[in-house]
Amino acid sequence: MFAEALFFGFAVLSVLGAIGLLVFRHPMNGAMSLVVTMISLAGLYALLSAKLIFALQLIVYAGAIMSLVLFIIMFLNIQESDLPAEKGRWLYQLGGIIVIIPIASFLIKIVKSIPGSKATIVGSGFGGVKEVGLVLFQDWLLPFEIVSILLLVALLGAVVLAGKRRMSK
Amino acid sequence: MNDFLSLLPLLIISSGAILLMLLAAFEKNRLETAAYLSMGVFAVAFFVQLLIGCGPATTLFNDVFNGMLVASNFTHAAGLIILACGFFTTMTTHSYFKVNTFCTLEFYATMMFGACGMLLLTLSQELITAFISLEIMSLAIYVLVGYDRSNIKAAEAVLKYLMLGAFAGSFFTMGTALIYGGVKSTKFIEIGAFCADNSATSPLLIGGAFFIFVALLFKAAAFPFHAWVVDVYDGASTPVTGFMATALKTAIFTVFANFLSQNSGLHGSWVTFLFYISVLTMFGGNLIAIGQNNLKRMLAASGIVHSGYLLIALVAISTEHFTGSVIAYYLAAYAAGTLGMFAALAYLGGESEKRSTFDDFKGLAKVRPYSAAAITVFLLSMAGIPPTAGFMGKFYVITSAISADQMALAVLGIVSSILSMWYYLRLIINMYFHEATESFETQGSLFATACTFILVFCVFAIGIYPIII
Repeated sequence: MFAEALFFGFAVLSVLGAIGLLVFRHPMNGAMSLVVTMISLAGLYALLSAKLIFALQLIVYAGAIMSLVLFIIMFLNIQESDLPAEKGRWLYQLGGIIVIIPIASFLIKIVKSIPGSKATIVGSGFGGVKEVGLVLFQDWLLPFEIVSILLLVALLGAVVLAGKRRMSK
Repeated sequence: MNDFLSLLPLLIISSGAILLMLLAAFEKNRLETAAYLSMGVFAVAFFVQLLIGCGPATTLFNDVFNGMLVASNFTHAAGLIILACGFFTTMTTHSYFKVNTFCTLEFYATMMFGACGMLLLTLSQELITAFISLEIMSLAIYVLVGYDRSNIKAAEAVLKYLMLGAFAGSFFTMGTALIYGGVKSTKFIEIGAFCADNSATSPLLIGGAFFIFVALLFKAAAFPFHAWVVDVYDGASTPVTGFMATALKTAIFTVFANFLSQNSGLHGSWVTFLFYISVLTMFGGNLIAIGQNNLKRMLAASGIVHSGYLLIALVAISTEHFTGSVIAYYLAAYAAGTLGMFAALAYLGGESEKRSTFDDFKGLAKVRPYSAAAITVFLLSMAGIPPTAGFMGKFYVITSAISADQMALAVLGIVSSILSMWYYLRLIINMYFHEATESFETQGSLFATACTFILVFCVFAIGIYPIII
């Protein structure tokens, strides 16, 4: 019962944070509401007894990445006058909501069809560093390895698109 | 050992990409050296892929990789097409970047990383691996599209593509999550086994498959998700557009067919959906293509139409003895024609792609008879006139549709093919039967010209190959 209440609390918070990210005009407010989403997601992971992911979510996403984002926004020092005038922005948001309705109802229908199941107690080591490590390096070795290529491409792409460019000789 | 050989082309490409990336850090290295190096790597990988051959489907390193990579004749052929696309695109860029000077060494490294992602995508038989390879491929392509930072059209293209592509990626992950919820596994083979035991119409499976199809159809530029194609293809530089149109489509359709062919129940429950998508894709694409005045935009729209034909082939695949030969053949035929077209455009276009509209090509046959003849061959192949490869490709697609009892689809495919003559022949008429209004000369350089004429040969060779064998 208590866990259920927590689940709904975190779920609602995470969705509200995501909506806030879309609705707020100032990037600072958007980033702060993204922090809310990140932290409530961490709460959801904790409810699933995923200890390691819970900690990583807090440290890496809500901590490191978000503080970097906030740092850059503060660095740019964006004032209200710097923001572009968005005419007809409510109209776009209304259009977005209309597009979302069929997808959301489709998803709700799917979720409703899931047969209910009793919660079972997981093993004592579940979700810990050792268990996640074993799964990651035994069952999911290939995805883990190719993520390194993905990160390399992202790094290279960032340098190419944003870095200082030497012209070709 | 055999498993290692099957992975060897992938390893060659990725180590070549990393090598080039490191070389790019040194001032001394010239752009041409990088072009030759990457041509060499693509060529070596192509010949290795050609030599190793492949029998029936084999799971690569089943113990270590846990059955996530599967090589078969189909993936082997798709890999060959992708590597060939990479090779010819590099040849084209070598000439293109002589007149358009925004290239750096990283361009070639990025392209090879993209090819690496595509090869992984063809091999992957597991949704998470497929997602990561899809993202490797997409990230590399985003960077290539936006490479020319001074060009505002390229900036627009990369922004549109990145935003929509991120959406498609999130749909893919959502689909994966739903399928995992239903099947308790993300491996294609387990999904197929689940569909065989239970019905393929459990809500979680339908929802999951739907979202995955949305992502794949987006990348393949099928009908409701095609809006980005024209702008993005137009904004990207010509060789990149050619690479996107051919290699990326090959990778996407390979993984699509691998997924669908797992189980007849899974395939059967989506046939009607794919039927309508393919019809709308063909006719929507034709409608867009007829209205275009810019050659690159026309080719982008015709790419949508070709996705429609490939979707016909997907509707018609048989899940009992799936070979994918029709799809692979069509992809090869389409790749030869399209790459050739873009290679010719790359050296005829001149500085910052001056020659771009239909009117600019008026009277080209008088000034450059050989180039005009080559373009004519490519256009006829895309339109599907015998004895070119495009005709045989369409022939196989249509006959496979008929043998799968999809008569309506076969007829609509032929109708769409006739409609597409309009915009292909329009360019040929412009080149041969009109006087040039204004003329300017471009310096054709050795590589792009050679590439164009090799591809003319390929168009005929691929067309005649099934008759001889």
